[in-house]
Amino acid sequence: MIVASILLLLLTGGAALAAPPSLVPPEGFRVLDTPNDAGKSLSLVWKASPADNKDRKVEVWAVESPSADFKKVAEYPANTRYVKPGDFPWWSRPVGQGDHYVKLSSSKAFPIEDGRSYAVKLLVREGDQEVWSDVSQAASYPDRFNTAQVNNLIFALAFTGILLASIAAARRNPHVHLRRIAGLDAVEEAIGRSTEMGRPILYLTGSGGMSDVSTIAATVILGEVAKKVAHYDTTLKVPHRDPIVMAVCQEVMKEAYVQAGRPDAYKEDSNFFITDDQFSYTAAVDGIMLREKPAANFFMGSYFAESLLLTETGAGTGAIQIAGTDSDHQLPFFVTTCDYTLIGEELYAASAYLSREPVLVGTLRGQDFGKAFIMGVLVFGTALATVGVVVQTEIFHYVLDLFKDFK
Amino acid sequence: MKDFARRMVGIDRRLIFLLVAVAVLFPLLRPFGLPIKISPEVNAVYDYIEALPERSVFLISFDFDPSSKPELEPQGIALLRHAFRKNLRIIGMTHWLTGTGLADSVFSKVAAEMGKERGKDYVFLGWSPGGGALIISLGQDLYKAFPSDYQKNPTHGMPVLEGVRNLRDVNYMVSLAAGGAGIEMWYVFGKDKYRFEMAGGSTGVIAPGLYPFLRSGQINGLIGGLQGAAEYETLIGQRGTATAGMDAQSATHFVIIVLVILCNVFYFVLRGEKGRSA
Amino acid sequence: MIFLKRQLPLAITFFMGTAFALQYYIPHPVSEDAITNVSKWMQIISGFALLLGIASLFHVHAVKIQRQVPGWGYSLVLYVAMLGTIAVGFWAHGETKVNGAQTGFGWMYDYTMVPLQGTMFSILAFFIASAAYRAFRARSREASVLLAAAVMVMMGRVPLGQFLAPWTWDVTQWLLNVLNSAVRRAILIGVSMGSVALSLKIILGIERSYLGGGKDQ
Repeated sequence: MIVASILLLLLTGGAALAAPPSLVPPEGFRVLDTPNDAGKSLSLVWKASPADNKDRKVEVWAVESPSADFKKVAEYPANTRYVKPGDFPWWSRPVGQGDHYVKLSSSKAFPIEDGRSYAVKLLVREGDQEVWSDVSQAASYPDRFNTAQVNNLIFALAFTGILLASIAAARRNPHVHLRRIAGLDAVEEAIGRSTEMGRPILYLTGSGGMSDVSTIAATVILGEVAKKVAHYDTTLKVPHRDPIVMAVCQEVMKEAYVQAGRPDAYKEDSNFFITDDQFSYTAAVDGIMLREKPAANFFMGSYFAESLLLTETGAGTGAIQIAGTDSDHQLPFFVTTCDYTLIGEELYAASAYLSREPVLVGTLRGQDFGKAFIMGVLVFGTALATVGVVVQTEIFHYVLDLFKDFK
Repeated sequence: MKDFARRMVGIDRRLIFLLVAVAVLFPLLRPFGLPIKISPEVNAVYDYIEALPERSVFLISFDFDPSSKPELEPQGIALLRHAFRKNLRIIGMTHWLTGTGLADSVFSKVAAEMGKERGKDYVFLGWSPGGGALIISLGQDLYKAFPSDYQKNPTHGMPVLEGVRNLRDVNYMVSLAAGGAGIEMWYVFGKDKYRFEMAGGSTGVIAPGLYPFLRSGQINGLIGGLQGAAEYETLIGQRGTATAGMDAQSATHFVIIVLVILCNVFYFVLRGEKGRSA
Repeated sequence: MIFLKRQLPLAITFFMGTAFALQYYIPHPVSEDAITNVSKWMQIISGFALLLGIASLFHVHAVKIQRQVPGWGYSLVLYVAMLGTIAVGFWAHGETKVNGAQTGFGWMYDYTMVPLQGTMFSILAFFIASAAYRAFRARSREASVLLAAAVMVMMGRVPLGQFLAPWTWDVTQWLLNVLNSAVRRAILIGVSMGSVALSLKIILGIERSYLGGGKDQ
């Protein structure tokens, strides 16, 4: 009898142990307005469970109006849709990291209108079992500010402040120390060489328009070159691709000659427009180089595929060549074919160095502060992230998130 | 030897041009057909398209003009062949006015080859001015940006564009770019705002400059130059002009390497002579 | 006149620049509609810029032909080519193909534009060879490093190099993905800061060279 009872107990207990645990409704399920969006979407959040697996399905059921029936709008495996690091910044996260998050956007199947309240519930299914969550309600609204990007806005405003402060400081004292750029020594040498040989100087301002930094730097350097050229009476030729840049360069050169005390030496046709087509312009300038054989060629500004066509032709005529560009893809060609090359920001620095314009000097200083900040963040952030991985903690993400770009 | 070295260092450029011309022509006439190794960045583009479900929306922007045709047209042809084979819905366009005719002829040619129909399987929207502004316009409403396609057919109601309202409905995007208006612009004004996945195809010259975007995940793949096009042709199993061109490119590279080595030999011979005479 | 040439453009630049810088942080549909409309305006203005370019070209070369300055023959050729292309383009209604048949405009595109542009770009291959022969000399330590890297990448990027020395492919991949990416990133960050600084100066009216004219603008 006792043996039979024990056997019965073991059998029923075994059966109970073999039966799957009964499903529990998703913990902490709620619906809320999707943060930082243009409206017409809702966000569903609920806590992760250790029992979530690929065989368990979560169905989203929603209703458009109180009088209608709930209808299924989406379905996901239960072990998906987690909040991962980098999805949201800690200051605007709608749910904890590792929990579930689903964004329900308006669609043809389930349109969502702003200002209207929608009821949503989840159905969790696994095998033959299923369980409903509580119903949660929320309305969707468009947001006026993306709080996930507040760090981006703060940095932008801070950089603006630093830039304005640097310009103001430079206006008070323009003699800020700027490192001498090696290529600038060659400018005098190039002008002297052209004067001795009695051959013209060719100056190109690149392919960009007046809204390009490099073109502005090129026109400033042209002004300084023109001032030196005015003293020696050397011919300066400036062929253009852009009529607006040509107009600016005409004024810049005229003023340079006036400042050098040689307004009579200025020639109106020093600046001339050729065409705005890339290779037509290149062919025309190559023709000028081969016919007139300038003693010095200046290539300042932004360039594309035409760079090597110009510089190699110039090298073939025996001219001294000085280039300055922020077009990094053309740098290898300039470096190999020109005598001196100003790389990237050296072009901007050269224009500030030569002109000592407070705005240019101040801008350079402001940019230097910005770069120093970025370098500091890179070193500091890398160190923090590495330590975080080694000691297996996520606490440093509170600092690292401040420097990330979230959408 | 020194005289010879002196003459060789100052050799007429036209002889070098002649050597390069022979190096390019000879393999085109007598190809040697070497295996092409696939790089991870090209493989990434292939894998992504391969994983797209049928009738997914694939946007391809031919952002180049005829000067970059030898490098970028083979990339475009290989991508279109792959996309048509996967039965994707293809939207084509361009930011370069002078490349419009070229892009349209590529579409027509590949579509005819793969038995695909304009308006049903693909649409070529053509060119519209604006650059970044055009991308924003596409991102808001494709039909306002392009009310009609290149052949003046209304885009509204086109079967290939069913369910596509703007760039948010694009599943994958590739920009074949030769310079300014290209990959960076698509990322800044397109992907950053409208969150579609994108890759880039570029000329060999600008490809190294795009590696930072690739490494940071801003583009998921990069097809660089003729080599990239040849790798993609190998992946889709349909060799074309890029693969044929790789033999010529191999020979040319070797000619340049030999010339550079010789130039350095002559340079050191002359430098040694100067050192001894000093 | 000064108001129209200076103050009004500066005011418009400040207002629009600030508004659309802030637009980036505002997801509201009103903000999205604003950017959509302004993008349309920018597209329309870009279209006008094309006309401006053509008008400048016509004017400049007409003056050259009139004054018969040295090289005016080239200006005449340009005029004939431009007018001819425009005439054929209008005649073909801007179409390159009609019912599968190529139009005159399409013929001009395929048999002049494409080969001419291709030719100009192809010259680069020859120029690269001559530039490399002249410039890739191991004059110094840095030049030697440049030379070695160039040779390895030239081998690693073509099938013949990968076949003869497979290790060059791995070295090339490392150079491109690690060293090249690092340096490009540095240049990109610096240049981008320059662009941001310039944009801020233009919006705030500190930089006015885009208005045309000299320093006193």
